[in-house]
Amino acid sequence: MSETNLNRRDFLKLAGVSVAAIGGLQIYRRAEASSGGPEGEHQWAMVVDQSRCTGCDYCTLACRAHNDINPEISWNQVIETGAISGKQVYLARPCMHCEHAPCVDVCPVQASTYRPDGIVQMDYDRCIGCRYCEVACPYGARSFNWEAFTGRNPAVPQWGQPEVARRPRGVVEKCSFCSQRIDRGLALGLTPGIDPDATPACVVRCPTGARIFGDLKDPESNVSQLLRGHASFRLREDLGTRPRVYYLPPNGSPEA
Amino acid sequence: MKKIAKLKLTPWMAWVGLLVTVIAAGVAAGLMVFVKGLSLTNLTDMVPWGLWITIDLSSIAISAGAFSLCAAVYLLGLKRYQPLARTATFIGLIGYTMALLTLLMDIGRPDRFWHAVVYWNRHSLLWEVTMCVTLYLAVLALEAMPIFAQFEWLRTRLPRLAARMERVHHYAPYLAIVGLGLSMLHQSSLGAVYGVLKSRPLWYRPDISILFIVSAVAGGMALTVFASMLSARITRRANIDDGLLERVAYFIGWILVGYLYFRFWDALSMTYTYEPGRTEGLRMLTSGPFAFNFWIGEMLLGAVVPILLLLRRRTRQVPFWRMLALLLVVGGVVAYRWDTNLSGQLIVLSYLPGEPAVAYTHYVPSLIEFASGAGVVAYGLLAFSLGVRYLGVVNHEAAAEEHFEEMPAREALPAPTGD
Repeated sequence: MSETNLNRRDFLKLAGVSVAAIGGLQIYRRAEASSGGPEGEHQWAMVVDQSRCTGCDYCTLACRAHNDINPEISWNQVIETGAISGKQVYLARPCMHCEHAPCVDVCPVQASTYRPDGIVQMDYDRCIGCRYCEVACPYGARSFNWEAFTGRNPAVPQWGQPEVARRPRGVVEKCSFCSQRIDRGLALGLTPGIDPDATPACVVRCPTGARIFGDLKDPESNVSQLLRGHASFRLREDLGTRPRVYYLPPNGSPEA
Repeated sequence: MKKIAKLKLTPWMAWVGLLVTVIAAGVAAGLMVFVKGLSLTNLTDMVPWGLWITIDLSSIAISAGAFSLCAAVYLLGLKRYQPLARTATFIGLIGYTMALLTLLMDIGRPDRFWHAVVYWNRHSLLWEVTMCVTLYLAVLALEAMPIFAQFEWLRTRLPRLAARMERVHHYAPYLAIVGLGLSMLHQSSLGAVYGVLKSRPLWYRPDISILFIVSAVAGGMALTVFASMLSARITRRANIDDGLLERVAYFIGWILVGYLYFRFWDALSMTYTYEPGRTEGLRMLTSGPFAFNFWIGEMLLGAVVPILLLLRRRTRQVPFWRMLALLLVVGGVVAYRWDTNLSGQLIVLSYLPGEPAVAYTHYVPSLIEFASGAGVVAYGLLAFSLGVRYLGVVNHEAAAEEHFEEMPAREALPAPTGD
């Protein structure tokens, strides 16, 4: 009997020590930002001017080419939202890169994280494909790779050249604000939002200038100036997600 | 011809043959999913969680008899129920492995199933559930050691290993504490997985977690009692103390009363103001495509009828009525999980400005989903049948395992009443 008691104690001790060790390790390892708050050097944001958008879908196609996306999937969607005085209005919807992103909160493996510059980033090597983020995203911005994307990309080369690796079957993917272009551009001394090579492909390709990209941290950037000078809105602000994609409504924009 | 004639088909063999056939079909379907991917399912980006998630949720829910009965026996000191806790533990082990098997098919990258254990996101309810389920599966495996030690083959071939496995029951009280903690966490946070999603107004409320654990305890105990009674009616290898089972069944009736009470206030509190998405969701449940499931499956057959059958002594004492009531409880829990999971997804809330429009999408599982799901259920039935036959998991006559005398804290426990 005393023997079992000793064993029991040892067992509990061992269990306690191992749990504490694993927990300690995890806390030690934890370096990622816990919210997408404005702590980085840059805060990238996109402004979509609805009065200029003609619904041509060039942005979607450029996005598919540069990010090598399955034609079944759209990281960017252009949605018809009805007409105002006879003129069709469109709403282009990339990932909102929320400051409080539900997808980052719910991902069980930290495959969705905040970059210091505010971009909500996917780690495709870590994603297990549970699709909880899809269920949680209020904007329908996420797509699952139901099948492998093999063969040629119909958007290439007409709409651009792939800049990132294709995602494998079984992971969730979404718009990245073309972080590969931003990072490479910054490394070359370019300014995202001004130099096309450092700016998201959809913004560069837009024929009417309906998409504007830039740094919210820089008060003189084009997005900061636009948002100062015009009425704007974000999607589902009631949810408190604080998206980084702003819309200039069709009738409150410079051209109207 | 002669050979076939010699092979006598016993009901046992027919039963096992049937289950093995279903399992084989399920394995084939599962392999197709692994090879071809989830495009074989009818899941979409709109409805990414379907039949398999319902099987996960249901099998975990109806395994809740394990933690609740172990807590009753080892923590409340109701040691008369020990043989029943043993059955429940075995069912729990089966249920959790069923959930893991299904989950393995459901995630897009089954090769990365271990990521949640290594890459922690403490904000994620699903991470918490994964960790708890993993740890609790280990607890269940330990708790089931003395049961596996009953295997005749093991006892004759490896008597020392069997004795060692038998001795794990000394830890039963500690395992019961850990199991209780882990189960209280994940049984309720399985509901919170849905409840924390603000973008889904029908789900976004704190009550789901409470409803999930209460219904799980009712369903888990119901399955344990039902499976025990059914085994005893079918085979002589199972024997039961009917008085014991009747008392648990009576208790289940009262849990259901509590569950119905919670559900009433939960539903009522959602009906007062118009909230886009939530109101439509409620309407879909109560008068739309889910109305039959909701009113008949969840409410009438899943709660009201079993309450009447289990709380009335005249019906409770008749094995047929009691078993029917318990089966209905299990069915009600499964229906609740199915309805909860789907109703929140079928209502799609628009994010477009000035358009609080609600769209409806739809989902019917594909044949592959049904086949693999049936395979998982058949695996559960086969495992339990083998347990009854070879491990004596339903045996109320066996001498209660003697760990109470060895519990150091025994004096601190209140004396069980009625002993």
